[in-house]
Amino acid sequence: MAMQIVMDRTGDSRHHFDPNYAHEVARAERRFYDLTNGGFTAAARTGPGQVSQIRSFDPNAEETVFFPRLVGG
Amino acid sequence: MLRFRPSRPSERSRRNAVKALFIRHGIERTPEGRSLRLLRQWLSPPQRVQFAEKGYFEVVGGDIGKRYRIYAGAATNVCEVDENGCPTLGLCFLPMGDLPIGDVMLSQKIALESSESRALGVARSFVPDGTFRRSRLLR
Repeated sequence: MAMQIVMDRTGDSRHHFDPNYAHEVARAERRFYDLTNGGFTAAARTGPGQVSQIRSFDPNAEETVFFPRLVGG
Repeated sequence: MLRFRPSRPSERSRRNAVKALFIRHGIERTPEGRSLRLLRQWLSPPQRVQFAEKGYFEVVGGDIGKRYRIYAGAATNVCEVDENGCPTLGLCFLPMGDLPIGDVMLSQKIALESSESRALGVARSFVPDGTFRRSRLLR
């Protein structure tokens, strides 16, 4: 099972999908582009504590986290 | 006749462990607790230790390679540090929306490690004062 973690006021919302099921992958892909086109940044965990930003949907990424656009404080 | 019997040490430690588990479960159900748990999961092992012991963790920028310290906080909580570990420049940037503290810190870590220049582009800088010495430990 892969997971998309979207940061929000509650901490986060988690969406699981099985990369072996095309309809689940399609839904996850739609969610990915809806979020990133809306200003969210997506990042995948590549190792313990290692993270890289991703700009296109990767169905094999086990965990992808999304956070809203950064602004200066 | 009923007599008060002090519980044995093993029972006490079990009871304390259960109590701690309930408290932790309660904390982790709050937005702050959930966000801090996510942050810890995404930190590297050395960053996790540093955060637990000092209340901050350090990251190395992915583009320029400068070293930054991220303190527990949701604003004015990031600073650039020199080779002696002294804060040289305060940075203020955060994700939009009213996110809990752990989410803000994780966003800052990811931004600095994977697109340092862009993070610096949006950050407002300030002269660091004593603010950074007052770090609190988060459980």
